[in-house]
Parts: sequence; structure tokens; C-alpha cells
Amino acid sequence: MKKAKFVALLAGFTFIFLAIMVQAIIPSLLKETEIKYVTKTIRTPLGELTEVKGDSRPYAGLVEQGRRIYIREGCWYCHSMYVRPVTGEERRWGPVSQVGEYAYDTPHLFGTRRIGPDLSRAGGKYGDDWHRVHFADGRLIVPESIMPKFPWLFENHQGLQGPSAEGQALIAFVQNLGMNRGKWRDDFSSQNLSGGSAALATAASLRHGREVYELRCLGCHGEKGDGQGPAAKFFVKVQPRNFTSGSFKFRTTPSGSLPLDGDLYRTITVGVRGTAMPPWYELPEGDRWDVAQYLKNFAADFKESVPEPPFHIPPAPRATPELLARGKELHKTFQCATCHGEDHRGNGESAASLTDDWGNHVQPADFTSGVFKVGPRPEDIYRTFMTGLNGTPMPSYDSILPTDEDRWALAYFILSLSADRP
Amino acid sequence: MESPGELVNNDLVKGWLQWGFFWSIFGPLIGILVSLKFNYPNFLNSEFTVFGRLRPIHINGVIFGFFTTVIFGLFYYMVPKITGVRLYREEWGRPLIVVWNLALSAGFIGILAGYNSGLEVAEFPAPVAAVLWLVFVTIAFQIFMTISRRKEEVLYVSLWYIIAALVWTSVNLLLGYFILPYAASGANSAALHGLFIHYTVGLWITPAGLACIYYFLPAASGNPLYSHRLGMIGFWTLAFFYPYVGIHHYLFSPIVDWAETLAIGASLMLIIPVTAVLVNFYGTLKGRWETFLSDFTVRLLIVGTLFYFLGSLQGSFEAMRGLQKSTHFTDFVIAHSHLTVFGGYVIFALASCYYVWPKVSGRSFNRELARWSTWLIVVGISTMGLGLITQGLIQGNMLIGGSVFVDSVAAMKPYWLVRSAAGIAMDVGVALVAINLLRGKA
Repeated sequence: MKKAKFVALLAGFTFIFLAIMVQAIIPSLLKETEIKYVTKTIRTPLGELTEVKGDSRPYAGLVEQGRRIYIREGCWYCHSMYVRPVTGEERRWGPVSQVGEYAYDTPHLFGTRRIGPDLSRAGGKYGDDWHRVHFADGRLIVPESIMPKFPWLFENHQGLQGPSAEGQALIAFVQNLGMNRGKWRDDFSSQNLSGGSAALATAASLRHGREVYELRCLGCHGEKGDGQGPAAKFFVKVQPRNFTSGSFKFRTTPSGSLPLDGDLYRTITVGVRGTAMPPWYELPEGDRWDVAQYLKNFAADFKESVPEPPFHIPPAPRATPELLARGKELHKTFQCATCHGEDHRGNGESAASLTDDWGNHVQPADFTSGVFKVGPRPEDIYRTFMTGLNGTPMPSYDSILPTDEDRWALAYFILSLSADRP
Repeated sequence: MESPGELVNNDLVKGWLQWGFFWSIFGPLIGILVSLKFNYPNFLNSEFTVFGRLRPIHINGVIFGFFTTVIFGLFYYMVPKITGVRLYREEWGRPLIVVWNLALSAGFIGILAGYNSGLEVAEFPAPVAAVLWLVFVTIAFQIFMTISRRKEEVLYVSLWYIIAALVWTSVNLLLGYFILPYAASGANSAALHGLFIHYTVGLWITPAGLACIYYFLPAASGNPLYSHRLGMIGFWTLAFFYPYVGIHHYLFSPIVDWAETLAIGASLMLIIPVTAVLVNFYGTLKGRWETFLSDFTVRLLIVGTLFYFLGSLQGSFEAMRGLQKSTHFTDFVIAHSHLTVFGGYVIFALASCYYVWPKVSGRSFNRELARWSTWLIVVGISTMGLGLITQGLIQGNMLIGGSVFVDSVAAMKPYWLVRSAAGIAMDVGVALVAINLLRGKA
């Protein structure tokens, strides 16, 4: 009899409690596991980026509700939720995970399998429009995806007329992932690589470009490049770009000019933040160059004319209070508020009536959101003044802002409008 | 030895095993449905049968439905036989069978309806979990009381494993079902959860499965256990090291580094019990290898030890950081879980059924069908194990090489088809075992 009790007490109770003590209870008593702060990238009042210690936030409202749906639908069986410091994951997904990010995760959702990508850095990578399509029928935009369709997260299961309250909550949860790390994406090295300005189109590169286009782009931009892909019908915010006109917003060339190959390459690489156009930095460089070549075929303009010489954008100076004051003055002089609003939220008096060349309503940029379609660096804002955004009411200020100092001043002023509260 | 009728309550053993046979068809079948979704994502896609709801049913269906229910039946057979006394409070047996299986069914319906705790392997809704835990603890109590009244002073190895497994799992289910979802957050929640997951396989499935082979291999082959001392070494090293390994599920995560390292060290130490156990079993067959051909219990047990050895070894090695960099999050890990749980312990349990069922039911089975089902199971699990290991290595290295993530998923598709085919072979094999036994001639 003694022996049976001995086995039960020593092997059974003692050994398991010893291990739970060492592996779970002692770690949970350590200060380092109770950390409730993270390294956070913020925009300073001067419009620059810096890293600070920021508090991680508990889940609330729509996001908390979305988390429950994420658990209910078992999303976490296929999507892990931590970035490891190995195998280049910090270049693929973003910054390595810190313990403070999970302070309010009960239960944790680390996950043990990646049948789909890790989601700890998914917030802000894609616009809400993208997620709408992705939950309705993900294979429209990612043909090789094996994610289920979730029609029951939509108002009308058959017609899929916009996400239901649950669907919206799930999108809010996904868009919030990684956000307690702040604006790390504005400073994400994988997206900030420059590729050059021009590439040679060969028969082989065009053929390859076509393959890439059909696999990655066709769902939104359509077979004919007219922006009428099968996924486009889900979009409510910004329609997919129509490539048949040769009019491109994001360029380094003067207003009205065609873009350089490098401009297309940059947009493909960094995406258009806030819209369904994701950053494609994961795609091999060759794929990005070749698809840029391929999509030039959709517009006759590229055969008839060549891009004008690009602007040279010098390295950005550091921001100073004087520069910002100058920027504020210029902002007033040029009446940016007419479109972008007195409170800079993109709701100026003429905002409601603005349309682009394709007849779609365009909303002027909300400078306070920190989400910039043109890009988040001072160089991106500078470039936008110089080039204007073809096809939209945003003109070029090339001749009106003659000095570099004025251009940087206005760029930093605009960036400072999305400064984070300390 | 006495005839089984005097000690064993045949009806209760039959009751558990019949339900176990039902779950043996159910749990794996869900696995097939889930695996088909990898290649045909629109297959069976509805609110109630979406991947994220079927997957936990497969895993809980196999662990708690199939394996555990069969094991309860085998415990009800083994414990009286080893202790020489009838089971304590046999009259509790029938209600326990009913409540356990009703609770499981309710749990699966709950998961289909969207109740999910968010913790892998502990998904059951809280009320169901409470009932399952109560049944488990009651059975543990029944068995402890039986052991305390035993006639044999010597405690046979199987009983050590049974005692420890019941203690461990009573604690572990409490931990996973009632502490984990409420008491821990973030990295601490993950650490505790890692322990829970691995206690389920390491401190329930493993010792329960080993208890079976320690009993049924000598019983079926007619040879005594090769070495009592090796049995002791195997048991005590498992009992000491296994409780630490769980955190190897979350290496390179925000869990404290030394806890991860400790888990890796303990995982490697498990090579000792695995090897000790293996040597003991092969030693036991010394001079009686002809029973490998003549007896299906022996045949399946020995085949199972092969997968047990390979799968466990793989598990120890994949716990190391170097290998885990590329293989973690891939099918490499799924290969390990199937090689050990199915290849090892499920096969041990089925082998034991070949021994127990004819004794408690008085029916014999068809040897030709048994031969077929054995081959289906062996070919199926070998193909699945090899395929999943291969594809895990491919995907891991594609990602290290910088592939677009979805490309690495697309590259898996042909392998997933092979996995589904292998899974179908395994499941048909298991179903044939169940049908063969249930429909045996009186």
C-alpha cells in the first residue's frame, strides 16, 4: 500500500507541482513578465518619428467584441500572434514581439501554427476595403489563399452587402493588431528600400509581369487593368486604380507627366496606406519590376510618350520649431484648409464636391490621422507638393514653393498635425 | 490467473469500449473533413462547420472521445486483473459511461455553435468541462480505492503509470479548464497553456498508453516483462522530466528565456524514458517473436513502439532552437503529433482492444480483416508522417529564403492531398478494427 501512495504523491502530485511552480508560477511573479509597456514609435510635435516607452492598452468596445469573434471562429488555429527574432521574421512581419504587448490578453492567442500569416502586425497593413473582400471571398484577391469565406459575418449572406456588426468588430480587431507599437510601419525598413528609377522591358519580363499581375493584382485591378476586377464591387472607400489612362498619382515627375518605372515600383512596394492596396515588399524585386512594366501596357500613353525628367528630392533636414512656424504660415497662405479643412481632417468647405478624373468622389487627406496615401516620410510629402496628384484636384506647388526650405517647412508642418499625444 | 469473469465486469468494459469505438470513427472522420478543407477551402464551409470550429472537434474528439473513452474501458479491465479485486463501486460505472459520453456530445455541439475558450485542447464550454472533470475524478477515485484494496503487494509497472496518469490529469484538467482561462494573461497565459497542452499528451496519453502496452504485451506474448528495473527508470525519468517540456511550444516568444531553455533541456532528457521503454518491450519479446505474426495485439503493439520511438525522438529534437527556427509553425509539428498520438498511443489502445474485446464479449474477430486494417493503418501513418515532415521542412526553408507567405502555402497543396489520402487510409483502418470487433462471431 505504501508504494501506491508513494507513486501518487511523489510522481503524481509533487513532480507536477514542482514543474508548474518552476515553469509557470515563478515566471509569473517576475517583474519582467508583468511589464505593461512597449516600445512605441510615435510622431513628435515636430513631425519626426521617434521611439518611446508607451503603455499597452486594454481591449475595449468594438475591438474587444472583435477579439471574441476571432476566438469563436477559431482564426487563431491558423494565424499565430508573435514575431520571432529569427529567420528574418522582423523583415517579413515587423518588429519582434515584446512581452508588454500581451499584457491584457486573456486568454493569450500566441498560436502554434501558421497555415495563414502571423497577424501580430496586421493592423494598418491593409485597408478596411481589403478586409471586407477578404472575409467575403478571400480568393478573389489572394487566389491561392485557403482561408474560409465568412458570409455569416455580412449583412446579407448571399449579396454580401457590407459586414454585419460582428464583421465590423472583427475588422476593427484585426486593424488594431500591433497598434500599441505605434507608427512603426512609417519607419519599416522593408518598405523603405529604394529600387532605382527605370528598368528594361523584355519579352521575358513582360511575360513574367503578366503572371505576377494575374496572380496578385487582377482581383482588384481587373483583367483589362481598368480597375474593375471581381473584388472591386466590395470597395466603399477608394476604387482600384484604372491603369488604362496613364494617369498616376504617386510620381517623382512633374504634374501631368507619366510616372517613372521606379515610381510604380515604389507604390507597389509600399502600397497605398488606408486603401485596399497593400505593401508588396514581400514580393521578390524582380516580380515588382516586371509587373510595373506589364501594367504600363494597359495605357497607350506609355507607348506614345515618355515621362518627363523627375524632380530631385534632397535629403530631409531635421525639423525645427522655426521651420514648423514657417510651415504653418505657408499652410495659411496657400489655403490648404479649403479642401483639407480648418481642423485638418480632410473636411474643408469644398471637400464634398471633389471628384477625380474617373468621376469618383475623392476625400482630401486627413492630416491628423497619420495615414498618408502618398507615404509617411517628409520626402513623400515634399514630393507631393512638387508633383501634385495626377487625376485628382491636388495640384502641383512646384512653382509656388520655390525654396527647399519652404517645402520642408510645409511638409513637417503637415506631418506634425498627426503628432501623438505624449 | 482467475478467469476474467470473476474479477472484471465485462458489461462495463464493453460499455466503455463500444462508445470508444463510436468515437474512434467520429474523431478521425472529422480529421478527414478538416484536412480536405486545405485543398478545397469551400468544402463544407458554413457557420457551423468552418475550419476553426471543426478542428477543435477533431482534436478533442480523438483525445477525449476516442482515446480516453477506450482507455477507461481498458483501465476497467486491467486494474481488477492486476490488483486481484473487483472494481470499487462497480454500480457507478454505468452512470459514468452515460454522463461522460453525453458531456462529450454536448461539448462538440457547443463548439459547433461557437463556444470556444480560445485555448487549444481546452476548448470545451465551461459546464461541459466541469462535468468531464467530475467524471474523470470519480473514475480516478474508483481506481485508487480499488488499488488500495489490492491483494498483490507488488505494484506492477502498469499501475504506476495508471496512478500517476490519473493524478496528473485530475490536476491538469483543473488547470486547463478552470485556472488557465481566468487567472493568467499574456505571456504567462501562454506559458501555462504550453504546460497544459503538453500535460495532456505527456501526462495523460503517454502514461495511459504505456500502461496498456506494459500490461498487454506480456499478457499477449506470454513472456514476462523483460526488466522491472528498466521499467522503473522509464517511469521515474518520465515523471520527473515530462512536466517541464510544455513551453517548447512557444520558443522565441516573449515568455522568459530560461523557462524556454529549461523546457528544451527536459525535452531532450525524454530520450531516456523513451529508449528505456522501447528496449524493455523488445526484450520482452525475446524468444517469442513468433507471436508477432500469430497475434494481432503483439503485432500492433510492436508496430506502435516503432512510431512511438520515431515520433518521440522527433519531438525531442524539434524542441531545440536550431531546428525549431524553420520547422515551428509548419506541418513538421503536425507530423510529430500524429506519429506519437496516432502512431504510438492510438495503436497501443487498438492493440489492447484486440486482446480485451474477445475476452469480455466472447466474440472472435476476422483475421483477414484485421490484417487489412493493420496494413491500412501502418501505410497510412507512415505516409502521413513522412509527408508532413517533408512539407514542414520545405515550407520552413521557403520562408527562411524569403518566399511570399502565400506562395509557401500554395507549395504545400500537393502534399496536403497526400496527407488526406493517408488520413483516409488510417481512418478506414481504425473503423475496420472497430467494425471487425463489434461484428465478431460469438
